[in-house]
Formats: sequence, C-alpha cells, structure tokens
Amino acid sequence: MKKRTGVFVCHCGINIAGTVDVKKVADKLGKHKAVAHSEDYVYMCSDPGQNLITNAIKEHKLDSIVVSCCSPTLHEKTFQNAAKAGGINEFQSEIANIREQCSWVHKDKEKATIKAEKITRSAVERVNKNESLEPISFPVTRRAMVIGAGIAGIQAALDMANTGYEVVLVEKNPSIGGHMIQLSETFPTLDCSQCILSPKMVEVSKHENIKLLTYSEVQEISGYVGNFNVKIKKNPTFVDPDKCTLCDECTKVCPVLTSDEFDLGLTGRRAIYMPFPQAIPATYTLDDKHCPGLLPIACGKCADVCDPGAIDYDMKPEIIEEEVGAIVIATGFDLYEKEEMGEYGSGKYPDVLDGLQFERLCSASGPTQGEVLRPSDHKVPKEVVFIQCSGSRDPEQHCAYCSKICCMYTAKHAMLYKHHVPDGQAYIFYIDIRSGGKGYEEFVQRAVEEDGVVYLRGKVSKIFEYNGKIRVWGVDTLAGKDIEIDADMVVLAQAMRPSKDADKLAKLLKISIDKDGFLQEAHPKLRPVESVTAGMFLAGAAQAPKDIPEAVAQASGAAAKALAILSQENLFHSPQVAKSIPNLCTGCGMCVDVCPYDALSLKNGKVEVNEVLCEGCGTCSATCLRAAIEVKNITPYQIYEMINASLGG
Amino acid sequence: MVNLDDLKKEALNLLKDEKVKYIIGYTEGSNGTSAAPAFIKNPEDTDKLVWNPGCFHNLTRFLRDEKKRKAREKHPDERPVGIVVKGCDSRAINVLLQEKYIKRDDVFILGVSCESTGVIDEKKVAKKLKGKKAQKIEWDTNRNLVVTTEDGTTKIPADEVLAERCVECPVHSPVVYDIFFGDKIKRTTDAQFKSVEKIENLSQKEKWDFWKKQFDKCIRCYACRSVCPMCYCDECVVDTISFAVTADTTAEEKAQRIKWIEKSPTPSETFIYHIIRAIHLAGRCIDCGECERVCPLDIPIRFLNKKLEKEAKSLFDYEVGFDPDQLSLVSSFKDEDPEDFIR
Ligand SMILES: Cc1cc2nc3c(=O)[nH]c(=O)nc-3n(C[C@H](O)[C@H](O)[C@H](O)COP(=O)(O)OP(=O)(O)OC[C@H]3O[C@@H](n4cnc5c(N)ncnc54)[C@H](O)[C@@H]3O)c2cc1C
Ligand code: SF4
Ligand code: SF4
Repeated sequence: MKKRTGVFVCHCGINIAGTVDVKKVADKLGKHKAVAHSEDYVYMCSDPGQNLITNAIKEHKLDSIVVSCCSPTLHEKTFQNAAKAGGINEFQSEIANIREQCSWVHKDKEKATIKAEKITRSAVERVNKNESLEPISFPVTRRAMVIGAGIAGIQAALDMANTGYEVVLVEKNPSIGGHMIQLSETFPTLDCSQCILSPKMVEVSKHENIKLLTYSEVQEISGYVGNFNVKIKKNPTFVDPDKCTLCDECTKVCPVLTSDEFDLGLTGRRAIYMPFPQAIPATYTLDDKHCPGLLPIACGKCADVCDPGAIDYDMKPEIIEEEVGAIVIATGFDLYEKEEMGEYGSGKYPDVLDGLQFERLCSASGPTQGEVLRPSDHKVPKEVVFIQCSGSRDPEQHCAYCSKICCMYTAKHAMLYKHHVPDGQAYIFYIDIRSGGKGYEEFVQRAVEEDGVVYLRGKVSKIFEYNGKIRVWGVDTLAGKDIEIDADMVVLAQAMRPSKDADKLAKLLKISIDKDGFLQEAHPKLRPVESVTAGMFLAGAAQAPKDIPEAVAQASGAAAKALAILSQENLFHSPQVAKSIPNLCTGCGMCVDVCPYDALSLKNGKVEVNEVLCEGCGTCSATCLRAAIEVKNITPYQIYEMINASLGG
Repeated sequence: MVNLDDLKKEALNLLKDEKVKYIIGYTEGSNGTSAAPAFIKNPEDTDKLVWNPGCFHNLTRFLRDEKKRKAREKHPDERPVGIVVKGCDSRAINVLLQEKYIKRDDVFILGVSCESTGVIDEKKVAKKLKGKKAQKIEWDTNRNLVVTTEDGTTKIPADEVLAERCVECPVHSPVVYDIFFGDKIKRTTDAQFKSVEKIENLSQKEKWDFWKKQFDKCIRCYACRSVCPMCYCDECVVDTISFAVTADTTAEEKAQRIKWIEKSPTPSETFIYHIIRAIHLAGRCIDCGECERVCPLDIPIRFLNKKLEKEAKSLFDYEVGFDPDQLSLVSSFKDEDPEDFIR
C-alpha cells in the first residue's frame, strides 16, 4: 500500500532555485503515485514555510512528508517538528538534500533539475517504508565527573557542585591546581596566581558535593550519555591522610633526593614529599618510583619517625567505580620539551630555561624565594633574552600551530624580570605580537614603554654556551642586520602541547583528537565545548592553547552543558537504531566486534541491540554477510528502493 | 609417514567407546585417483578408511549438514563428530570456530599431516597417464607419485602433479587437532601467492577480458558455493527463489526480500555473483581450492579468493584460520591499518 506523501521543494532563495528548476521538480513529483500533494516555496524553513507544511498535512490528509531542501544536519529536526505539528509521526518526515548534494555542486540547470527530481523521488520511496517510531526514553544518573583538576577542571567542578549536583573530580597528580598554581603573577593584571587560585582549591576540598580523587586515573569507561560507568585507578600514596599531622619529620630522614616536578627540576625533593605548601589534599605522598623499596628492610626510615603511624607500605592501588551522567574533560597542556629544540641546545644548558621554569624563578615560593638568579652560578642575570614561538609556528620541525599565550606571558616575563632586576636588560625575539584580548595590547605597550624591553623582530637561529655566557645568534629583520647577544640567561617560550597521554585518554573515552593532538570539539564555531561524543564536554587547554580567562570561560560553558543533562530526569534517544533479524542471524558476532558504540552483544547465539547505545550508524548492517541486522527507517530494502528510484528515468 | 593403521585403530576406538557420533573420513573412490568422503558409524567399517594423494576433498563442508541436522532434532546427540582433516581443512575449522558456527566440542579432530607433499590435481595426473586408468596412487618417500595402472607402476615427481594450492600451502599439517597422524614437518613456501601474479601482471583491459571470458562460461550451478565450508548461510544474497522461510519468518520479511541479482546467467549478473562471493570470503577463505576443483566449467575461481588473501596479508597482516580467537578481517581495526585509500 502506498502512502499519501507530501513533497515540499524549497528554493532556499536562489541557493537552490538558481540552479534547479524547483517548480518543475514539484510538478514532476506531484505525478508520483505515492505523492498526494506537492508544492514549492521560497524558504521552507521560515515560519510561513513550516506552517505551509503543517496545513498541507491536515488539508490533504498526508501521512508522510519529504522536504527537498538543504542537508538534514541543518533542518531535519525543524521539519520533524512541523510533521508533528501537523499531527503525524515525526519519523514520517524525510529530507531530500538538493542543495549541498545538488544545486551547490552543479552548474547545468537542466541536469541539476533531473538530479534533484531523482534525489526527491528516492526520498519518497524511503519515507514510504518508514515506520512510525517513538523516541526512546531513559533515566539519567544525576552526577558528573571532571577529569583533570587544573583551573579549568576546578572551575567546572565548582560550577556544577554549586548547583547541587555531586561531582567526582579526578586528578592524576598528588595535588590539584594544574599549571596555574606554578605561575608567579598573571597577565594582564599581574595578580599573584597562587593567591587567586588557592581559595578555589580550598573550596573544592571543603565542598560537600565534590568527591576528590587525586593521584588517580581513568582506566575504563562504559555506558552512554546520562549513564556512564567509569573505573578509576587510585594509586597508593602510602600515607594515610587522616593520620598524617603534616609534621614533616619524614622528609628530614628520607635519604633519597630527586628532582622536584613542581619546580621543574630547579630544586630537589625527597621520595616522600608534599608537592607544594598549598597542596590539596594537604598530605604527603611516597613516590614508589624513587623510594628504595617500600620495605622496612630496604630503608623504612620514614615509617620509623612517623609518630601517628600514617605510613603504610602495604597500601595497594584501588579501583573505584563511579556512575555519572556527564563528563567534563580538562586535562590541560604540557610544554613542548626543551629537549626537542636542537637549535636551542636541546635542554643541555642550565641557564636556558623554559617559560614555566622562569615562572618558578619569579615566584615568591619558588626555588630562589622570588629572586631571579641564574641556576648555574646563582648570580643575578644582567642581560636576558626571551625567545617567542619556540617550537610554535614551525610546521617543518616542531608544532605547526600558534600557542597563543606566549606573546603575552613573554611580555609578562620581561616585565617581571625588570621588576626584580631594575638595572637588567630584557630582549625579546618575536615573529609578530599577538595581543588580542581585553587589556592585552596595553599590557605589551607597558612592557616596552615602562620597562624598556627591547623587542627584536626576527628569529634566533642558534644559541650556545660561550665564555660562561649564552651566545644568541639572531636577526633583526626590521633593521635588516644580524644580531649577536651574549646573554646571562635565555628563556624559551615553549609551545603548548596536549598533556601527556591525552591521546590515550581520548581513545578510552571514544572522543576525537585533532591533528595536533588537542581534544576535538564537535563544531569549531557552534559547539566549541562539546566533544563528538554525547555527554562529554571539553574545557581548558586540553582543547586548544588558551590562557586562564579563556579556560575559565570554557569551563563554565562546559559545566552549563553538562548541567543541561543532569537537570533532566530522563533523556531521549533517537529510535532510528539497529534491529536484528534473528531468523537470519548465525551468531558469528562480526557486528558485535565492528560496532563503534559497543551497542551489540550475543545472547543465546543471536545478536541483541542495546538501543540506547546504538547511534544508528549502520556499520553493523554493512558488515553482516547475512543481512541479519539493519537500521530502522534505512533498511536494506529501503536502500534498494532508493537506488531503483534514482536509477529509473 | 602417516600410518593408516593408526588412523583406523583410533577411529575404531572412538566408535567402540562411543566417544563420537560418527566419523567423517576418506574411503576408496571409484576411479582409482580420487578418494571419496565416507561417513562411518559402525566400528567394523573403520577398516574402509584410506589416506592417499587423492584425499583432496575438504570434509569440513559436511559440518554444515551436521549442524542443520542437529538443529532439526528434538533431542540431538550432543557427542562430537569425528573428522579427518588436512592442514588446509583444519584452518577451516578454526574459521568456523571464530565465527561461532561450531563449538570446539562439536568436533573430534583427526589431523593428518601432508608432510612433504599434499594432494594431487586429478587433471595433472590424467594428463601424465595419457588415457590410462590408475588403479592405485601413493607417495613414496622421495616425493614421487607412484601410480599403478594395468601396465604396472610409474613414478611422477610430486611437483608435476600436486594441486597448485598445495604448492602454495603455508601449513602442510593441521593447526588444530585432537590427535595427530604423521610427522610435523615444517615446510616453508616462498611462493604463497605465485599463481596470483599471472593475473596481476595483466593490464586492466586484459584482466577484464580474461574474467569476462571466464564468467561468460558460468552456468550458475552454484557447485562452488555448495562445496565451500564457509558458504553456510541459510539464505544467500544471490538466491531469488529459495529463500529460507522458517516458521518465524514474518509476512513483512517475506515481502521485503530484495532481488539484488537475477538468477539468469547473464554476464553482468554472474559477475556480481562471483564478486559478492569473493568479498564475502575475504578474510574467511582458507584456500582449500575446492570451489575451483568442482567447477564443471573450469573457471579459475581460486584466483579471486587468493588475491584477497594476499591483500589481507600485505595490507593488514591478516592470516586466516590460525587463531580461532582473532577478530575477523572485516570487523577489526588497528591503529596501524593503512588509511591511504581515504582521500
Ligand atoms: C609559562 C606560562 C605562563 C603563563 N602565564 C599565564 C598568565 O600570566 N595568565 C594567564 O591567563 N595564563 C597564563 N598561562 C596559561 C595557563 O597556565 C593556562 O591557561 C591554564 O593553566 C590552563 O588550565 P587547564 O586547567 O586547562 O590546564 P592545566 O593547568 O594543564 O591543568 C590540567 C590538569 O589536568 C591534570 N591531568 C592531565 N591529564 C590527566 C588525566 N589523564 N587524568 C587526570 N588528570 C589529568 C593535570 O595533572 C593538571 O592538573 C601561562 C602558561 C605558561 C606555560
Ligand atoms: S554479523 Fe549478522 S549474522 Fe553475524 S551476529 Fe551480527 S547479525 Fe548475526
Ligand atoms: S547501527 Fe551502528 S551503533 Fe547501532 S548497532 Fe549497528 S554498528 Fe552499532
């Protein structure tokens, strides 16, 4: 039995009508035996356009519609709603894409018109076999998870926790804070980084809705938007934080000295340590990679001196399972290693620092208590060269992209240096200055005007040690001459790159990464905080290089998106999902292996579909040798009819 | 050397102890060169078992019938079926296990080693015998085929009469078995895909002409499909008349049967049949060569499957039938997989 289908052909101004004779398409389709009504209109998606559809459904007693217009990614939902408003099932509406797939890619009006007819006719055949479906509803687990506790993760967690939902915050390091806690002062206002961040860290630790898991990493994830099950491995710290009184006796007896991560190797720490004084959670961690053996016979000095008995060498990794409805990923960045910079000494020279090391040198809590001193001989450097774009914007050898924040922090570094060493001279080599942002250009001007920073436009070709100094060879392209500076210290504004193992985490979470390894947003303009996977959101430098205000803004955006899920009791899922035909299924399980969403499983030798997990991609249907699984409303039979329709005539 | 008496004794014990339902093996054929498949139920019949160069059939194909028979029975006998397999056939068992078509307990595998030879190509032998009829054939220890005819015995070097797939075989002895007969000889071949090169070296036009001529011959008897252990689907996409209609086939399902290709052996339809079959066997064909052997029109079907086997190996490092737990070729993806076809 044929349906009574209505066909609605859109002009899209001249976008379609310029190349396709839309009236002719509507006329021709009107003669199709399954088409009860056919018309064209200038903008179908406009309000009058939609009303026209709704009224036609009622007037001509249509039971299905085809709208010949633009890509279904744009207006499928619009016309499904129009169908619903007309009183028919929303899945009795199909789009024939005659814009992106026809008018925009052709010039010959006659041929394009024939093609538009064929596309429309095949959509008519498809809708003819469409089933009426109801969206699948499922309950939401109303808690969230945030992975990574830098400023972005902290902000997202606080925003969500403050609206009353529980948040699990997972951080791989022993303390939260990320890179911001290492910074000295922050552009453009030069406020002390730790002073503005530590109150937020304390708030996290005290918040009744935040469950903090530090020294922990996500190991496994299953489920779907609204209902994720996450397995987290919590590494043993070997110190019971509840018993530890922070007396610091243990570090005094520990015989091991290793380089301190927080100070980026500028100082040392013991095998048992507290990452930094404001660490949250405020407790010690025993780093088993450096401890001689975790055995009382091997050493055991710390346990001996620990009065409250907080040290437990038998602590084991713990696997914690959490059910959450939405996930925010804020795993931040790492600096591109100095070791990668062959032209700048491959990290060999002690007085060639990266930006973060320089932050530590300027920081009041840093290795030199805020005095800028050369690491090699602890003298005050009188001439310092800052090199921007070190590792950035260099597709041949390093990272192709601009790290965006280095122009600003280099200006800040030069300024801070001048504040510490007023009689010193700062030089900055730059390609160009990118200071877009509120108060940013003024900040750079201040560096030049008030602090006498010398900006040299050009690249540095090589640096090397010479006579106890660092000789810098560069060019000044504005003056058109070679430059040689014998500097006391060089600071490299290293590129920002995705944090270590971000790619592995992305794979685990089934979200994409971009060509540079940053987490991929769902749409670069319209969905910048969403990942490609429903229910997972992105915040901070994990998505692209950004500074603190941007990271915070994105974090709040991601939190709002996640809250949009948590605030609902039930979510709805498209019912256009896979359906198995048990008769034909031999239970080979090929579809089970191939399904990218883990939506299939074998039960008693036949395949079964988890409709909530299924995204209707059709991969299973294409893989099955026996046509034993198909996707509703785009079945092989429908495809067959569509092919016939587009071949005929 | 494979000791036939051992094989017989083992078969006898299996049946006597009622460990297996029956045994699928080889027995004397009627024409002197070819052996014949045998289904042995009575212990005393085990004496009829043979092992000789004419045992080219891939007996695993009969596991399909066994499975279907079992599905029809109300109280099926759950004991395994004993089955004699060569190296190539044993890989078919692995594929059937991989595809969960059978369970390991469904079969008791009597693995027989091909040692330094394999099985013959009947046509090559017939050519050598120039019209004389063989009464008996066997391998001697020096890789010669010893043929007994009414005029006495002749020796033919193995390489002149071995089936092409035996020359290109990478295993020579079963990779999965319950009991093993003969010597586990590790024979390597550097010519695993030699036969494919002949066609690969043709120009595109020559290739097209070649296959057009070949497929023009096809009468669509489906002997290739019937003999193949992997063509076990109840319903084959190329069938337009014999749909598998079971008690739970709905009217809608019947109405929605798609006639993807016509039954008539016109060139275009026949092309599609063979292409579909080749694609559906990619990553599943174990190169027993049975399809080509049974083709009454001598269409070199094996080339298609062999070519896909070669592609799978060179592109994805995928080899069929060695590991029943590996993911199938078309349903698995590795990060290292080549992607240069995506543009
Ligand atoms: C030298 C330098 C100076 C800067 N100066 C300024 C400035 O003056 N003003 C300004 O606005 N910005 C400045 N920035 C930029 C600022 O540091 C970043 O914008 C900010 O730190 C980004 O925060 P985030 O939370 O996205 O990432 P991060 O700070 O990198 O935090 C990410 C967190 O996630 C954790 N993590 C990573 N992977 C995992 C995982 N798999 N599981 C669990 N946890 C994980 C990390 O341990 C870390 O704690 C500067 C940057 C540099 C390099
Ligand atoms: S691929 Fe087809 S036959 Fe195999 S389990 Fe899936 S639906 Fe069943
Ligand atoms: S349609 Fe896609 S998501 Fe759904 S079961 Fe099939 S392969 Fe999985």
